[in-house]
Amino acid sequence: MELEKRDRVTGRMTTGHEWNGIEELETPIPRLVFYFLGATILFSVICWVLYPTWPLGSTFTKGLTGFDQRNLVTEQVARADAERAAAWAGKVEAMSYAEIEADPALMEPVREAGRTLFVDNCAACHGVNATGGPGFPNLTAKSWLWGGEPEAIEETIKVGINSTNDDTRVSQMMAFGRDGVLAAAQISDVVTYVRSLSGAEGDAARMEAGKEVFAANCVACHGDDAKGSHDVGAPDLTDHFWIYGGDTSSVYTSVYSGRQGHMPHWDTRLSPLQVKLLTLYVHTLDGAPN
Amino acid sequence: MVSQLTISERQYALATLLLLGLGGLAMAAMGRGDPIAVHGYIVLIFAIGLSFVVMAGYYAPEPDKTRLSRYYDDPTKVGIVLSIAWAVVGMFVGVWVAALLAWPDLTFDQAWSSFGRLRPVHTSGVIFGFGGNALIATSFHVLQRTTRARMPGQFAPWFVLLGYNLFCVVAASGYLIGVTQSKEYAEPEWYADIWLVVVWVSYFLIYLRTLARRKEPHIYVANWYYMAFILVVAVLHIVNNLAVPIAWNAAKSYSLFSGVQDAMTQWWYGHNAVAFFLTAGFLGMMYYYLPKRAGRPIFSYRLSIISFWGITFLYMWAGSHHLHYTALPQWVQTLGMTFSIVLLVPSWASAGNALATLNGAWHKVRDDATLRFMMVAAVFYGLSTFEGSFMAIRPVNALSHYTDWTVGHVHAGALGWVAMITFGSFYALVPWMWKRETMYSPKLIEVHFWLALAGTIVYVFAMWNSGIIQGLMWRTYNESGSLTYSFIDSLVAMHPYYIARAFGGLLFLLGALVAAYNVWMTIRQSRMDAIDAGEDADIPLFARDAVQAGE
Amino acid sequence: MKEFFHRKIERNAIGFVVAIVAVASIGGFIEIAPLFTIHETVEEAPDMRTYTPLELAGRNIYIREGCYACHSQMIRTLRDEVERYGPYSLAVESKYDHPMLWGSKRTGPDLARLGEKYSDAWHVAHLINPRDVVPESVMPKYGWLMRNELRIDDLGEHLVAQQAVGVPYTSEMVDNAVQDARGQAAPDTDAASAVAERYGEATHVRAFDGDPSRLTEMDALVAYLQILGKLTDKANQQAAAVEVEEQ
Ligand code: HEC
Ligand code: HEC
Ligand code: HEC
Ligand code: HEM
Ligand code: HEM
Ligand SMILES: [Ca+2]
Ligand SMILES: [Ca+2]
Ligand SMILES: [Cu+2]
Repeated sequence: MELEKRDRVTGRMTTGHEWNGIEELETPIPRLVFYFLGATILFSVICWVLYPTWPLGSTFTKGLTGFDQRNLVTEQVARADAERAAAWAGKVEAMSYAEIEADPALMEPVREAGRTLFVDNCAACHGVNATGGPGFPNLTAKSWLWGGEPEAIEETIKVGINSTNDDTRVSQMMAFGRDGVLAAAQISDVVTYVRSLSGAEGDAARMEAGKEVFAANCVACHGDDAKGSHDVGAPDLTDHFWIYGGDTSSVYTSVYSGRQGHMPHWDTRLSPLQVKLLTLYVHTLDGAPN
Repeated sequence: MVSQLTISERQYALATLLLLGLGGLAMAAMGRGDPIAVHGYIVLIFAIGLSFVVMAGYYAPEPDKTRLSRYYDDPTKVGIVLSIAWAVVGMFVGVWVAALLAWPDLTFDQAWSSFGRLRPVHTSGVIFGFGGNALIATSFHVLQRTTRARMPGQFAPWFVLLGYNLFCVVAASGYLIGVTQSKEYAEPEWYADIWLVVVWVSYFLIYLRTLARRKEPHIYVANWYYMAFILVVAVLHIVNNLAVPIAWNAAKSYSLFSGVQDAMTQWWYGHNAVAFFLTAGFLGMMYYYLPKRAGRPIFSYRLSIISFWGITFLYMWAGSHHLHYTALPQWVQTLGMTFSIVLLVPSWASAGNALATLNGAWHKVRDDATLRFMMVAAVFYGLSTFEGSFMAIRPVNALSHYTDWTVGHVHAGALGWVAMITFGSFYALVPWMWKRETMYSPKLIEVHFWLALAGTIVYVFAMWNSGIIQGLMWRTYNESGSLTYSFIDSLVAMHPYYIARAFGGLLFLLGALVAAYNVWMTIRQSRMDAIDAGEDADIPLFARDAVQAGE
Repeated sequence: MKEFFHRKIERNAIGFVVAIVAVASIGGFIEIAPLFTIHETVEEAPDMRTYTPLELAGRNIYIREGCYACHSQMIRTLRDEVERYGPYSLAVESKYDHPMLWGSKRTGPDLARLGEKYSDAWHVAHLINPRDVVPESVMPKYGWLMRNELRIDDLGEHLVAQQAVGVPYTSEMVDNAVQDARGQAAPDTDAASAVAERYGEATHVRAFDGDPSRLTEMDALVAYLQILGKLTDKANQQAAAVEVEEQ
């Protein structure tokens, strides 16, 4: 029943079978296929000889190169560290903040490295341009909670604020309303007063009353002049910058419920060099979009 | 359609639906407060709905014996319609999720409409809904034609087709209500997985029993592929889905494997879902419809043999290329990489075999958009397998993995190969099934072809660009040896490409809508003027008495 | 010769089926089985702990919402990944992950070392609307997490199923699963100290969503996110050991 037939177009024989009109030609496999197969198998065998490949029960062939992806990346990272150290990072580690900032050539790699570190780690809260957002301070405002010196910034980055680090900076804005220290009217008064410090309009009588409330309750942390205190991380209330917002209701909430911002600590996640780079980056921010 | 079933088959159907309904009722009643109850109701409604259909036709006269000298094509017809419906739904959701990545708020504040839940609706909708129905529909058609035997019985094909669609509905609705195992392409939970095993075994038995009745001594290549698809998917599915449910009346389960072993099992599954679902199955389709439409013999029988066994053997080693540089031991990665490279040979052999089969029919390719769909599919098959083998090389994968490059590769295969071969085959098959000379509008096939091609090209180029840019940005170092870009920088750079991709996908979706309309009108026409093109015009006359009696 | 052989099996359906299954089984078997027998596949980490019931519930929400569709949890052995995200991921770190969530697409950043990187409050704000805190983000909003009470009545069953697949929960942990879930998100209660006793002092006991009076899905998810990469310190230790070696 295997009738040999010849295909009219190619002149080739068919296999003689036919399935609902479909036939197959007896075309030999093109040579090229075997060359191609040989080449890919050769490539494979070379890989098998050089690299770990075949399992053998409780172990596997290690390959002639002894190649191991983990060792390789560890080496690469170490080499990159060494190269950076030699080129510029060693100087950063050794020099003081003032010296580094005085060296524009050195500041260039610092800023480059610092920006990527900042955006990958800090921008989630402080924004790509470090301008902050509701609940997260603007780092370009020069309105520092804990001081604007590099050493203070470095400390904040290392230990965090209200973080899980044992040495964390601790800051707490008390919940005057919720804890019943102040009555609602008193809070409204002090809010009016506090907002006036940065130029907001308000009822004069309330402001007067608020000023008294402030003197009695707030100066301990925010200072007589309301310019804040770097010792307890209390913000300056006279500038135009607000962490939680300067509208009446936000300020009211700050006073009523208190605030306790959480800044994570980075000493276990980032290296001392990385912290230093970030400190320099943050310290020299000008707020211009980059 | 029910009238084509014998009375005993109608009784089987009702009994099965009763059991299914009871199962659904049990799930609904016992799973109170658990999402499994929702699925219970879906199963119950499904069973009741179908019972009405069967009951409505229950007292119709039994079909006469002459049916046994014809092929049984009703399930194929329904399968085609279901496949196209899923295509429209799945691709619509595809366009939606594509848009979400460009405009993330283009959605409702509802859990079901968030990206993470819609994305698997898209992938399952197109792969299992569109692709799976197309495979079942065409495999029934091809199987009968190439064995010259009618399928044994009329109940089992319906059980497979409709049971499979129940699985798809449970899968897709599950993601929307938060039921998922998270294993890519195997997301449905344990009870859906078990149901699929039952359906799949029935599918396999139909295949075996029809082959046993065949009038052709040799099994045709298309059936090798369809069989590999059925068998290997069964093995993969069962192993990868092994899991322990938290309770018999709860949806949630924990997979048996964990960590690195789970990762390897998952991508052994995932990669071979690509290989045996999206590749082997559709190669089976191609091996029938392409030579048939071109009117040409297969270029080389021997090439078919080595491609088939090459693909069947080699693909199963390649899954670890999804895990390069991960915590998977490196020896497995080397195996995955090298076997992926060798795999290119049988892959290109298949693509070459298909294209060379067109020798002597290229003028038809030029004039006939249906054949052109198949030709372009073969080209994209060659392209995406080359790309796949390339991406399987470790250093290349270092760049491409986790990026849109993978998504580009996926859609070169999914749009260019899977969808194109399916639409081409449907355009050939639909007139045969509904006894028409041609499709309702050959012009619209032409329109669809260009929409599909343009959509694919826009999609794939957008993703190649974004993927490579993304991969490069992640690893670019500036002169001082620090990372140049942050992750967010790369995210921002993706935006224009995400818009382009959504646009390309929209073109492709429009094409699918055109296809749906064209098929619909073809069916309507055939209903309106029921011409008798001589029963089963596609059966060669001599075969007629050769079709073996059913039952 | 070969042809002849093939024409024969082409005529035998059962033979063909057997041949396909045999040929297709080899690769998977050789690649998967040894992962259970080669000891060094999974590193030793004596400090490895299991997820608390609350974290496990959070992990299930992570799965339910499909976060894995955009986030990987697998830092590859590549220089840029190690420098960006931290030490490369070890196999042992996902030893109790049934299933693993390594992911295959990074539309968002890798999360393998996310634990304690950000504050709970940030996560809550971010999940409610990512664009409030990261304007460039394309991540979906997950507002309902804050609205939905967490389902905890079946947590005991979850732990039993976990036991069945090999996670070493004790029967005490199973019995107390529900209280432990409550306690972990309600600091300064008796239940809270019991959690720390059972799962280790380093367990985070906090009002993750900011409201200790309600146990929400947000609590669970944030508890899970904050433990990512923290079940064992092995990866850090390994990286530190290398540094010491070099000096
Ligand atoms: C989870 C959110 C978060 C992340 C991430 C974060 N910060 Fe902060 N940061 C804060 C909050 C909140 C404050 C203010 C704390 C307060 O209100 O008392 C703060 C304060 C600071 C301060 C002190 C400002 C001052 O006025 O004294 C500096 C400096 C700072 N952050 C730098 C960084 C750097 C550098 C990084 C990245 C390594 C970073 N932050 C990451 C939330 C964050
Ligand atoms: C125990 C110290 C302390 C006392 C007393 C205190 N504050 Fe504060 N205050 C803080 C600290 C610390 C912060 C910063 C909290 C943060 O950022 O998380 C703060 C923040 C604020 C803020 C928010 C500033 C912004 O940028 O959004 C306002 C407003 C404020 N305090 C007003 C007051 C008023 C009014 C009083 C008295 C009724 C008061 N504070 C008393 C420590 C104190
Ligand atoms: C559509 C994709 C998408 C989905 C789905 C998604 N994310 Fe994200 N995710 C992102 C993107 C993009 C970013 C980066 C921008 C940002 O921080 O929002 C991100 C960032 C994050 C981050 C900050 C990571 C870091 O190191 O800065 C966390 C945490 C996170 N996602 C958690 C989740 C969780 C939990 C879910 C599920 C409930 C989820 N994501 C679902 C895209 C997504
Ligand atoms: C209208 C056309 C389509 C559009 C717009 C579209 C869009 C998308 C999008 C946006 C994603 C998610 C990518 C990401 O997470 O970044 C995706 C994933 C996917 N799509 Fe499509 N798609 C389309 C058609 C198809 C078709 C026809 C198939 C299969 C037959 C398919 C298979 C897949 C698969 C397998 C994935 C997962 C890829 C991965 O995990 O890497 N898509 N698609
Ligand atoms: C020789 C053939 C092929 C090889 C060697 C191959 C290889 C690969 C590789 C290396 C990846 C990337 C894995 C990663 O980095 O995460 C991949 C992903 C993928 N490929 Fe292929 N590919 C081949 C053919 C195809 C074809 C024909 C399709 C058809 C649609 C396809 C569909 C996919 C899908 C869906 C994924 C995404 C998996 C995921 O991450 O979810 N591949 N393939
Ligand atoms: Ca499953
Ligand atoms: Ca994927
Ligand atoms: Cu693959």
